[in-house]
Amino acid sequence: MTARIAVEGLGLSFGGVAALSGVTMAVPPAEIRGIIGPNGAGKTTLLNAICGIVPPTEGRVLLDGQPITGLKPSAIAARGLRRTFQTSALFGGLTVLENVVTGLHTGLRAGLLDGILGSRRLRAEEAEGIEKAHRVLEFVGMAGFADRRASALSFGQQRLVEIARALVSEPSVVLLDEPAVGLSLNRLSDIDRLLRRIRDERGVTLLLIEHVIRLVMEVSDSITVLAAGTVIAEGRPEQVRQDPAVVTAYLGTAVHA
Amino acid sequence: MSARPETLLTRLMPRPIWVGLVAAALLAVLAPQANSYLLFVANQLCIYVILAVGLNLLVGYTGQLAFAHAALFGIGAYGTALLKVHFGLPFIVTLPAGALLATVVGLAISLPALRLTGLYLTLATLAFAQFTLWVFLHWEGVTFGAGGFRVPRPDWLLPGLSPDVGSFALALLLAIVMTLAAASLVRSNTGRAMIAVRDGEVAAEALGIDLLRTKATAFGLSAFYAGTAGGLQALMLGYVAPESFDLFHMALMKAMIVVGGMGSIVGSVIGAGAVLFLLEGLRAFKGAQEIAFGLLLMGAVIFFPRGVAGWLQALPGWAERYLRTAPPPAPEPDAVPEEAKP
Repeated sequence: MTARIAVEGLGLSFGGVAALSGVTMAVPPAEIRGIIGPNGAGKTTLLNAICGIVPPTEGRVLLDGQPITGLKPSAIAARGLRRTFQTSALFGGLTVLENVVTGLHTGLRAGLLDGILGSRRLRAEEAEGIEKAHRVLEFVGMAGFADRRASALSFGQQRLVEIARALVSEPSVVLLDEPAVGLSLNRLSDIDRLLRRIRDERGVTLLLIEHVIRLVMEVSDSITVLAAGTVIAEGRPEQVRQDPAVVTAYLGTAVHA
Repeated sequence: MSARPETLLTRLMPRPIWVGLVAAALLAVLAPQANSYLLFVANQLCIYVILAVGLNLLVGYTGQLAFAHAALFGIGAYGTALLKVHFGLPFIVTLPAGALLATVVGLAISLPALRLTGLYLTLATLAFAQFTLWVFLHWEGVTFGAGGFRVPRPDWLLPGLSPDVGSFALALLLAIVMTLAAASLVRSNTGRAMIAVRDGEVAAEALGIDLLRTKATAFGLSAFYAGTAGGLQALMLGYVAPESFDLFHMALMKAMIVVGGMGSIVGSVIGAGAVLFLLEGLRAFKGAQEIAFGLLLMGAVIFFPRGVAGWLQALPGWAERYLRTAPPPAPEPDAVPEEAKP
């Protein structure tokens, strides 16, 4: 089976500093892949390289076997890859519903003239988009907030809307950058359940960066551990947890006098 | 902002589009009967509305702080007038040609400008504006230099109407059509893409919105509006001179959208009216105009950063929406299941 998303020998240097080097991983369809590592390990940089925001300097990324390296972020998004950001990235001037409908951009065919004239095609696409947006807002538990301005939501609510906006176009892969940031501990089980439902009900492959280790360990099918820009371990959560290299990366080595 | 319950006030409150159309109808009936000064002011108002709406599409909706609008206004005016003067083409040809010329120039400057953001974009477009002005001033063989030139005004426009009334009628018609077109556009996928680029470029791109294409669309559209307004200005005055397209006029246009409201079509119209009112009110005090505009701009930025539209948006039914279909009444947040709460 081809991997849904595969990263081959990915490297990214800023000047002489290698932020990522030789990162290789393959994630099968409908898997939750946790990506963990100490601060500065290159987790967010890896997501940026995959989705094209910061193009890698070496290696390539394959989506369903097709190379996507070097494409513009918008072209990669059009192939069914979405991401969310560490800090909330909703469009503050739009309502929740308008934000989520904007997530459908790549699938729309209405052009400039349709917009100026308010053509039938535009209206039909929009009506369908609103329908989809309401359904996905319900899916993430934000159905009652459709008409709120995005900037008026709490941080945790914004994260959920951002996930809805990423899901509305029915992508095959979603990259989640710390979705649990800003959520209280008693909501962790909610986000855990939501991530599983995204995988099971919608068949989406998730790459999950998360600092809340308990959440990653519980929800991930497998985990890739990064340290200083390279992969130091990969495997099922219980394997990774006991890997000496991982323990060293997180806790450091014992100092022997 | 949650959906408010439908009250009598909500239902009786006229929507912006009806207020605007009634105002336009009143203008259409009253202005031609007024004296020639008031007719001129009405004509200028229509042209300013087109300018402000076009500038707001680029600056207010797409977030591109460009300073080329007055120059593109000039290119529309010069293009329209010079084709008439040098080649004797009729206005029905030269007006669209001037607007298209401005659009092409606007798109051309957008290509390098799109790679720049923020202050750099401002500086690059400012440099372009100064260069354009220099061409108007010094390419004397074509543009007639600093003194400007007269443009013969058509009397064929609408048989039986004076050139003044005819050019006013055309300006009013175009102002209505172009304002409605912009109001429609911002409620489409194109408009939402523009707002998305303004509110977060990286997030917009990650959703599949092509930054360059969206910005180029905004630049081109905005230039088309400026060019059309320029052609109408030449038609109205029968005279074109470089000083009408200098930095002071750029500041006037910025003042229109800042005072009216950035990212608001209603605000653009109101801002155009407010600036024109102040400009004409202070016509006798030439030096005071610039001071008054400085104060107005600073006051607006400090005391009402969302412009007049910021207040109007609080009226029932006046908040600008970016979807056509009215959202179904949302249940009050309290009705949301407990698990959905943060």
